[in-house]
Amino acid sequence: MTSTTTATATSHPATNALAQTLALARRSVLGTARQPVIWFPAVVFPLLIAAINSAALGRSTALPGFPPVESFGQFLLVGTLTQGVLFGGIIGGSDLALDIESGFFERLVASPVARWAILVGRLAGSAVLGAFQAVVFIGVFAAFGAPIEGGPAAVAVIILTAAVLAVAVGGFAAGLGLRTGSQEAVQNMFPLLFVLVFVSSAFFPTALMKGWYRRAAEANPISWMIDGLRELVITGFDRSAALTALAVASGLAALTLTLATTQFRRRLRAAA
Amino acid sequence: MTELTAAASRTAVDAHRRLGAPAVLPVARQLALRGVLSMIRIPAAIVPVVVMPVFFTLAFSGAFSAIAELPLFPTDNILDWMVPFAVLQGAAFAGFGVAYGTGRDLENGFYDRLLLAPTPRLGLVLGPLIYSAARSMLPLLIVVPVGYLGGARISGGPVGFAVLALAAVCTALLAGLWGLGVVYRVRSQRAGALVQAGIFVTLFLSVGQVPLELMTGWLRWVAERNPFTYVLTMARQGFLGEVTWADTWPGLVSFLLGAAGLGWFAWRGFRRLVP
Amino acid sequence: MSAPVETEGLVRRFGELVAVDGVDLVVEEGEVFGFLGPNGAGKSTTVRMLTTLLTPSAGRARVAGYDVVAEAPSVRRSIGVALQDAAIDPLMTGNELLRLQAVLHGLSTAEARARGAELLERVGLTAAADRRVGTYSGGMRRRLDLALSLVHEPTVLFLDEPTTGLDPMSRMNLWEEVRRLNREHGTTVFLTTQYLEEADQLAGRIAIIDQGRIVRDGEPAKLKEQVGAPTLTLQIDPDHRERARAELCARFGSERPALRPGEVAIGLEGGAAQVTEVIRLLDDLGATVEHIELLQPSLDDVFAEATGRRLEGADTDGAQPG
Repeated sequence: MTSTTTATATSHPATNALAQTLALARRSVLGTARQPVIWFPAVVFPLLIAAINSAALGRSTALPGFPPVESFGQFLLVGTLTQGVLFGGIIGGSDLALDIESGFFERLVASPVARWAILVGRLAGSAVLGAFQAVVFIGVFAAFGAPIEGGPAAVAVIILTAAVLAVAVGGFAAGLGLRTGSQEAVQNMFPLLFVLVFVSSAFFPTALMKGWYRRAAEANPISWMIDGLRELVITGFDRSAALTALAVASGLAALTLTLATTQFRRRLRAAA
Repeated sequence: MTELTAAASRTAVDAHRRLGAPAVLPVARQLALRGVLSMIRIPAAIVPVVVMPVFFTLAFSGAFSAIAELPLFPTDNILDWMVPFAVLQGAAFAGFGVAYGTGRDLENGFYDRLLLAPTPRLGLVLGPLIYSAARSMLPLLIVVPVGYLGGARISGGPVGFAVLALAAVCTALLAGLWGLGVVYRVRSQRAGALVQAGIFVTLFLSVGQVPLELMTGWLRWVAERNPFTYVLTMARQGFLGEVTWADTWPGLVSFLLGAAGLGWFAWRGFRRLVP
Repeated sequence: MSAPVETEGLVRRFGELVAVDGVDLVVEEGEVFGFLGPNGAGKSTTVRMLTTLLTPSAGRARVAGYDVVAEAPSVRRSIGVALQDAAIDPLMTGNELLRLQAVLHGLSTAEARARGAELLERVGLTAAADRRVGTYSGGMRRRLDLALSLVHEPTVLFLDEPTTGLDPMSRMNLWEEVRRLNREHGTTVFLTTQYLEEADQLAGRIAIIDQGRIVRDGEPAKLKEQVGAPTLTLQIDPDHRERARAELCARFGSERPALRPGEVAIGLEGGAAQVTEVIRLLDDLGATVEHIELLQPSLDDVFAEATGRRLEGADTDGAQPG
């Protein structure tokens, strides 16, 4: 990268890159948040499902083996948040693919922007949105009688996990977008994520499931993450539960980030 | 083609023109056939009609099987409860698909072609609806065997199956009328989201997941007033026990009322679209 | 026997906007009638009213002897329509569309098949008949659209801007087909266009429409004769342009709207004979003439005289639906 001196730019490349990352992150956040279409899968749809499920399945809390919740809503909080982060993330994360489709990506690459800032900025944006969603969901559920037993520590862990999960799904969307260059291809992953969330402990305790379905749900890492966070919500703060949840989210993020960076390098090489 | 045969066909056409307008049924049939062709040629259209109901059957039965153990639940086999609901979901989306096709025609101008035909306007509305009713047999014929393999039992026998089929047709028609009503007003494929939202809300704010007795609060109030609740109850009879008139007539009445209301909605929309 | 098309005070409003503002016309049997006007003039709206796709806000129209409002189905039985955007379904094949059209017009399946084959041959699409229409080129779609409009041997054929967007070859082919239809089948053709040449080439009579009203109608040759003087158009250097314009208008004829930006155009009353005088005048003024052309009166001049604007390259505000 040639170091050109401009009148206004800070001289140190690292600070420059940081500024660029922040700018791109900002673009990512605002660009996604401004589309009304995003808010449906990210917030409205999961809340709607939660409302219906609470009212319909509420009596299930009386079943033997059901976790000791104050309300079905308390049970659903974590699963609902997971839905919102994953669905919102895949729909919102398709904007990198859109940039490629529109040619903006090429323009970014040809500009003096630090290459990695493009990806980092995008994912930082995802993290911010994920954290924001966590705050919204916690707030809405608390208002409807679903408090968090684990207190502020639990809230912090939930928000952090949501952010990391958002990076994981953002990385997946970015990697896929970089690979295919098609916004539609990324958004078509929605059903896949829907299945992933459904066959987990998001909507119902796995302990109360039967047969092959139970085995599948129990083997799903998403279930481990949700169960961990749910401990914090229902019972109280517990270090191992918190760590489990964070570990799963981080593991997923590591996987998808590898995918994203590999695809990113591939595309840069092709463009060079 | 020789000049002679060309001239002969021209005379035949001339004669037709003088005789008058074509009948409604051949037109409706031809349009229904066209619907079949579109469906084959857009394979993705099959997903909400067949794939999703199958997924739903497996997923809901798998995840929520425990609710069958709750007191007041009419059966201890969750599949008996879910299969009819899944079939009607597929039927509802069969109805939606037809509205979607009409939206496409309106958007790309083909609808003008249909409007320029000397056929009675009724054929243009009936064709898609007949097609949606036929398409609703797809989820029926696919989901029921899947459910049966999973352990569902039709204790009500062939009558139970027939009532489910009837409910599927009713659901498809109601969804189709709703979809057409919206599409005639919005006049493009973008109407799709609104139509789907309406279908989704109607399906789930009902006895889809649990019976009325198990519902809490606002949901029970809404479900009791949702006509679909009674259509679904009618559909489930054969899977939960014997088919009785007491559980059937509310479903039929709900369908007739729904069809009247949504039919008026669709017809008014059509009239505004077409002078 | 009434005329194939006759209208009386036809009006169409869209809210505040008056797209068609009192159109009276009569189309005689067996003629090719051209409806000429810029974008937004009201051509398509008029056609949609005549083909029963739109109800008039006021006034009356009769097509093939039937009232377009009261006897709409009878009108539809007698007319063929090819609209501006080819009204086709990209998912179906040419064969399937023709068959559908035939059934929609009351033919039996066997008749439909025979008719379809004949029409495909006529428009030269037999080879592509089993391909999905979505794969057809623009020209092929228009040809299919034309075939669809002819399925039931209509007595009146409406063509709304049939060659807009077509390459020159396809345009010529379509013109030839229209002439043949008119010549061999005696089909009355009602054609709308924004192209002068098309109206000139095909139409026996034309009506020029601008902003919802008919401003001129008659035979193209006679209309051009009425304009009389040929147009002299000049490209004069900017320093002398205004002076030259004033002098020319004072001495040789009235000004006409410029053909190209920056030019001066006048109607040369005295004809070609006066050209040398014009050159002498400009020479005396010291003006530099970069381009000079003498053009016989065209339909563009007819339009310009009626509206004060040029038709081709005209800058309509596009406020009205076409």
